[in-house]
Amino acid sequence: MASFGWKRKAGEKVSKSVVQKFEAEEDKAAQDPGDEEVDWVHAVKRRRELLLEDCATRSKRLKDEGAALAEQGRHWEALKKWDEAIQMTPDDPVLYEMKSQVLTILQEVFPAVKAAEMAVKFRPLWWEGWQTLGRAQLNLGEVDLAVRSFQVAIHLCPSERTLWQEDLRWAWRLQRQQSATKEKIRQEEETKRQIDNAPELSRDYDDFESDEVLAACVAVAERQTRYEEMRRTAVIVDAEGNVVTEAEGSGDAAAPAKEQFVKARGL
Amino acid sequence: MSTQYSILFKQEHAHDDAIWTAAWGKSEADGSETIVTGSLDDMVKVWKWSDEKLELQWTLEGHQLGVVSVDISHNGAIAASSSLDAHIRLWDLESGKQIKSMDAGPVDAWTVAFSPDSKYIATGSHLGKVNIFGVESGKKEYSLDTRGKFILSIAYSPDGKYLASGAIDGIINIFDIATGKLLHTLEGHAMPIRSLTFSPDSQLLVTASDDGYIKIYDVQHANLAGTLSGHGSWVLNVAFSPDDTHFVSSSSDKSVKVWDASSRACINTFFDHQDQVWSVKYNSTGSKIISAGDDRAIHIYDCPM
Repeated sequence: MASFGWKRKAGEKVSKSVVQKFEAEEDKAAQDPGDEEVDWVHAVKRRRELLLEDCATRSKRLKDEGAALAEQGRHWEALKKWDEAIQMTPDDPVLYEMKSQVLTILQEVFPAVKAAEMAVKFRPLWWEGWQTLGRAQLNLGEVDLAVRSFQVAIHLCPSERTLWQEDLRWAWRLQRQQSATKEKIRQEEETKRQIDNAPELSRDYDDFESDEVLAACVAVAERQTRYEEMRRTAVIVDAEGNVVTEAEGSGDAAAPAKEQFVKARGL
Repeated sequence: MSTQYSILFKQEHAHDDAIWTAAWGKSEADGSETIVTGSLDDMVKVWKWSDEKLELQWTLEGHQLGVVSVDISHNGAIAASSSLDAHIRLWDLESGKQIKSMDAGPVDAWTVAFSPDSKYIATGSHLGKVNIFGVESGKKEYSLDTRGKFILSIAYSPDGKYLASGAIDGIINIFDIATGKLLHTLEGHAMPIRSLTFSPDSQLLVTASDDGYIKIYDVQHANLAGTLSGHGSWVLNVAFSPDDTHFVSSSSDKSVKVWDASSRACINTFFDHQDQVWSVKYNSTGSKIISAGDDRAIHIYDCPM
């Protein structure tokens, strides 16, 4: 009989067990002596349809089994079922989305993002896929990406209140907190750099006119005070999500710090 | 004047992220043509259309989240934009400065639309109310209640008599603006209505829905005049040509379709975008169409006149 390779035709996307099953059937058919009159061209076609149908039903069964396991808290076993199902139907977004949720529960943060990315790739208009992606990204600490994913989800389905009230609001607050903290660190570093390397002192005071030198010293001292104040403040985001910088402790900000004089004298 | 539909200009990478909305206006003062786009990158951009190309005029910063909707006043002087941060902002297109920022309340700024006299801006709210803001006052002046669900789309009739709103559950409401009374409730679609538009003579209302269909209603009698199929996915935006003869639709199937208003047949399909096409508009004469979408590109098409 002519070469009849399910393996080659089915490719890698079909699980080994299915291929073996079909190969066994094929062998049986080949050995059957009463099959001389079979129209092989049509048989092949029929079998391919059967294979596809079989994949879909088996995938569905595995999906349901996985969901039942996940509900019982048997997360790793659920993942195994869904991975098998993905082998059968590699472009089913629901499988990836469920996988991402369970991976998030298991704190497998990076694989969770990867799985959710597949879900939105296969069904970009599905807001729940974007919500799951956003939540996975937030877990990974990718706040900016999470804010984006939640916005896409809202744009697709703005009437979904949890997206607004839980997902976007929380991620957006974190984003603003993060950017405010970054900005404060930048300012602090900038001021510190200027203390160490004061622009006023880079000038050449060749005549040492006392007013100018004094003004430069005052400027340096002022910057030092500002730096000290900055060190005492913290970025806080209030209940409404507004960013405020607040002084920590009850230390009198106006009182000059000791080190300031040491530095100023060191000029 | 061209004799066939063709793509005229592409602005690739017009924004740093998906473009969700676009508007085309014409200045009464100097006749210049202005395009305004809003994006998921939080920016509103103002472009000048002259010599058959786009030139970036202003990048308007202020919105803190994605820009959902933009519109240009009928004299071409002011742009309005709404974003997911629940603010509606008004911009002076001449200077590129923000005129006003209005807090619409959480979840209460989706589509923005200027009234025909450009004195008001209408926007839908999540509780099914259409809120009308005064352009001059910057405050909510009054509201029309549909007693329905989240309002995704809003349109004023060009004669200033009607206001139509489309909700997330597929219900369309038409109000009489003078009396504030709800005239008609249409249940044509069972899925979200992302866009609706009146014909220039205010006789017809065209609606676009996630069910993939476009429907045409006779406004006065609230009759369904036609159901159009052709898009393979959600219909995201519809716009009527100023000459009353055609309208254009865009879809998440990545296409832009031009329809004949009398025969209700699709007469041209543009398949130039790489991703969902969120917005489509005509220019003031109907000689050009603009489209923009998730691929961050702005396309301008030529229309036979």
